Amino acid sequence: MLRRLRHPLLWGALALSLSATLYQAAALYRVQHDNDLISQLTAGQAVDIGPIVTGPPELRLARAYYFKQKHRYDEALSTLSLIVGLGDPQFQALVRYNLGNLYLEQAVTASHEQHINTAAPLAGLAKQAYRQSLALDSSNWDAKYNLEVAMRLLPEMDVLIQAEDSNKNQKTQLWTTVPGFPRGLP
Amino acid sequence: MRILFVLFLFVLGCSSSVDEPIRYFKVETPRPFGYVNGDEISQRILFETRPGISLERASLPGKGPLNRWLNLNDIRVSQADDQHYQIDLRYQIFYAPLEVKALTLPSFELQLNQGEQRLSQTVPAWTFTLSPLRELVVRQTEQGEYMRPDSLPPLLNTRPALYGLLASVLIALALAVALAWQYGYLAFNGRRRLFKKALRTVSGISKSDMATGLQALHHCLNTLNGQPLFVHQLADFYQRHPHYQSLHAQWLWFFNYSNRFYFSPGMTVVSGDIQQLKTLCQLARSIERGSR
Repeated sequence: MLRRLRHPLLWGALALSLSATLYQAAALYRVQHDNDLISQLTAGQAVDIGPIVTGPPELRLARAYYFKQKHRYDEALSTLSLIVGLGDPQFQALVRYNLGNLYLEQAVTASHEQHINTAAPLAGLAKQAYRQSLALDSSNWDAKYNLEVAMRLLPEMDVLIQAEDSNKNQKTQLWTTVPGFPRGLP
Repeated sequence: MRILFVLFLFVLGCSSSVDEPIRYFKVETPRPFGYVNGDEISQRILFETRPGISLERASLPGKGPLNRWLNLNDIRVSQADDQHYQIDLRYQIFYAPLEVKALTLPSFELQLNQGEQRLSQTVPAWTFTLSPLRELVVRQTEQGEYMRPDSLPPLLNTRPALYGLLASVLIALALAVALAWQYGYLAFNGRRRLFKKALRTVSGISKSDMATGLQALHHCLNTLNGQPLFVHQLADFYQRHPHYQSLHAQWLWFFNYSNRFYFSPGMTVVSGDIQQLKTLCQLARSIERGSR
């Protein structure tokens, strides 16, 4: 009985393994193709949006990277916000670090243009993103450095807000040891 | 002397060392300097309680922000036995000092239970120094404030797909080799090709070539048997090659026919004989390749 089944079984297994070979070859081709797209995006070349929408988070991160290099902040933000919770902790830390950079760059620009009301919440969001990134991966020196940039940004605002609020809340005094932003930030 | 002895016992009775809820208590901390914004600090608390005393785990600080600049990222309690505890804490600092600054991890109370009684042990505060990462007068770049650039997006890992492809190719190859062996396509596997060759010979014979067909089949049987095979040796042959026993009637016909062909004068070959020889050869071939 088993002898009679040997041939059909062998042929069936061969058909299955050939199907698996085709599937794996297609998967490998897809990964290589996605890596090519990631390389193009990081080199500053625009690519067709079609494969990105359904693509892996790494590809969408590359698209956000591309948008930020082109100062298209809103598109970069909407792309990053879709992948914030995806991937392993290392990848999530990286996404949050780039998200922090996106906020911080806008905050720095706004502060140089004296748009204090715009800069403060952006810097607050940047700090939040860096903290989340460092909680996931405390070995990222770039995140530590940029968190310090965000924490020291716009030191004059602290004085202005404190002057307004000096008689409202004593807790503000405790915050003066950290140059940064007025209380009430996110 | 007796009064002194009684006094000694009284003092011993008043001593609290016997009633201490914790026999051994140690806080292991790392170096107290050289930390920067975003660093993690691990702290380990080791202690041994007296029998009957247990740690109230609800009294331990919870994960999350402890104050404006300090987070408790992780806390784990492990027990070697009922008395020996180990508490591992992992703090993270978010503070940007302008110069080297001393900060303190806050102390907290460990609550211990002894029946209805509540006892406590203080975990002392721990002071360390934190250093800035940036200079006071911050350098400026063309874009303004100097900051570290974005992380490059990582490339996708090709290994899983590559290994999957290699594995499936290897399996397919192994199966193909197994099938080739079964069908006798492998050169070193001569015994698997005996009836295949014989079938090729028998397929092309005519009535006048009957001797060639019979010889081809005899050659197969002799080679399989290791020596010339006669009809009375078929039982032994089946013991060594049991799959061929299913064709017993056909083998008997073959040996009888061969006997008559060679030793009976006036034997006439008809087309039905050739067809029967071909059928036998095909059946033997299907047994040879394992499909029957």
